Amino acid sequence: MVRFENVGKRYGHGPEVLRDLTFRLTPGSFHFLTGPSGAGKTTLLKLMYLAQRPSRGEIEMFGQDIGKTRRRDLPPFRRRIGVVFQDFRLLDHLTALENVALPLRIAGARRERIEAHVSELLAWVGLAGQINARPPTLSDGEKQRVAIARAVIGRPNLLLADEPTGNIDLAQGLRILHLFEELNKIGTTVVIATHDRSLISTFGRPELRLGNGELTVHKAPSVIVDEDPGGDAADADDGRSA
Amino acid sequence: MTPRRAELPLGGDATRRFIPLIVGAMVYLAALALAGTFALDGTVQQWSDSLRGALTVQLPGVAQDPEGEEAKARIDAAVGLLLETTGVLSASALPYAQSQALLEPWLGAGDLPADLPIPIIVDVSVDTGARINYEDLGQRLEEVVPGARINDNGVFLSRLVTLARAVQLVGLVVVFIVAVAAVSIVVFATRAGMTSHRDTIELLHLIGARDNYIARRFVTHALSYGLAGGLLGLALAVVTLAALALAARGVDQTLLPRLSLDLTAWVALLCVPIASALIAMITARVTVLRALRRLP
Ligand SMILES: Nc1ncnc2c1ncn2[C@@H]1O[C@H](COP(=O)(O)OP(=O)(O)OP(=O)(O)O)[C@@H](O)[C@H]1O
Ligand SMILES: [Mg+2]
Repeated sequence: MVRFENVGKRYGHGPEVLRDLTFRLTPGSFHFLTGPSGAGKTTLLKLMYLAQRPSRGEIEMFGQDIGKTRRRDLPPFRRRIGVVFQDFRLLDHLTALENVALPLRIAGARRERIEAHVSELLAWVGLAGQINARPPTLSDGEKQRVAIARAVIGRPNLLLADEPTGNIDLAQGLRILHLFEELNKIGTTVVIATHDRSLISTFGRPELRLGNGELTVHKAPSVIVDEDPGGDAADADDGRSA
Repeated sequence: MTPRRAELPLGGDATRRFIPLIVGAMVYLAALALAGTFALDGTVQQWSDSLRGALTVQLPGVAQDPEGEEAKARIDAAVGLLLETTGVLSASALPYAQSQALLEPWLGAGDLPADLPIPIIVDVSVDTGARINYEDLGQRLEEVVPGARINDNGVFLSRLVTLARAVQLVGLVVVFIVAVAAVSIVVFATRAGMTSHRDTIELLHLIGARDNYIARRFVTHALSYGLAGGLLGLALAVVTLAALALAARGVDQTLLPRLSLDLTAWVALLCVPIASALIAMITARVTVLRALRRLP
């Protein structure tokens, strides 16, 4: 699903934010991504949702070497990835419904199907009454739920969420996490960046921990971190797992 | 059913409301320049036709006996010399009555005073390809018939034709410059639109929109203002041309070259708004696709 090989990332001429990341996410896995603020969680997610190119190393998504993929062949990959952005990135001139419908529209889905589907999902995240509201009139928690709905509407193969529960109460947060679990059950690979320790302990999923630009894995049944880049990734999960 | 709103609300920003007006002004200029170029074309054709072999030689007339021996001698001498000149195809004097008729508009109908020498006009047709030295010919004519003069309206007309062609060239240059200005305006407007919708474009890109999908919104928008501005400019140009035509009706036709537009010209004018829409669309598309290449 996702494979990083000695990936490094620096912005401009700055220091390397990420250094020598080598890991693999198997299809259907579910991980939390943690680390102090500024550790590079968002940067790592950006590399995965193809918003940034690595400064070095190799990234493979859905079995394709991204570095060798032509630019115009990337959109289909992006459509298989659902992203909850840390800053939501909703379009203010569109209603909640239209915002959520965007990925389907871009993929060329039929309109009637879109509307029914989208209203249902919005009702599910507790926004039945705000279907026609515009983002500026929504609370941060409501915006976040719209953003989440937009990320999952297209049933992505890979769901990347950057602090998806940062602005909502625990009950809503748990509800959202359960939604992610449901998607995970039907095959979606999930990575959730969060600072929320209680969520992590509640869901007991493996944790990708970023610190000093390096990645360590804790309780990691489905993630493999290479100690030596030349070795076989599949048998390198010794010692590093907590 | 909720109306299908555009992800990129391009019509909104203030600068864009002026774009159709600017495009309209440019189309107006281009249409007038084009109309002028076409109108001159007919005139130039007329002039060129009359240039073909046109040359007259004027001999002093004989006052008391305009059709007598003396007049005949002058005509024979001049025609003889002319026919010997290489490049001259034919030469013959106009009958006295005809020369008289030519002067009628200036001197009035009826009997001319008998002591007025009516000049003798010799019509000469020349080979258009031949290079005749008119100065030399004029001197030799003067020797055989003192007072003979070549009316070099051919030279004058050929200068007029050259001038008209130059004016036509200027007209085309104006059209070209207007087109270049139109392209710049569209590039500017498209870039401004992309800047003010940068976040939206980035989001569309990240959730898998192809460059074409994003560009299409800009192209549609460019089509609308290119066409709107184009029609506005064309309408103003047609009104202007109609007003000019009306004003020209009052002027003596002999003083004005025939400045009318034929069907080709009208078709060309109708093509101007289509061209402006096409230029806007293509420019917008190229501009957007180029800018999008910077996204990963
Ligand atoms: N576009 C950018 N240009 C330059 N530096 C950047 C850019 N984006 C991030 N950085 C730097 O990279 C480092 C990692 O940033 P990142 O946003 O990935 O951290 P994070 O782990 O997501 O933090 P947080 O928990 O606060 O969201 C930071 O030091 C940040 O300043
Ligand atoms: Mg972050």
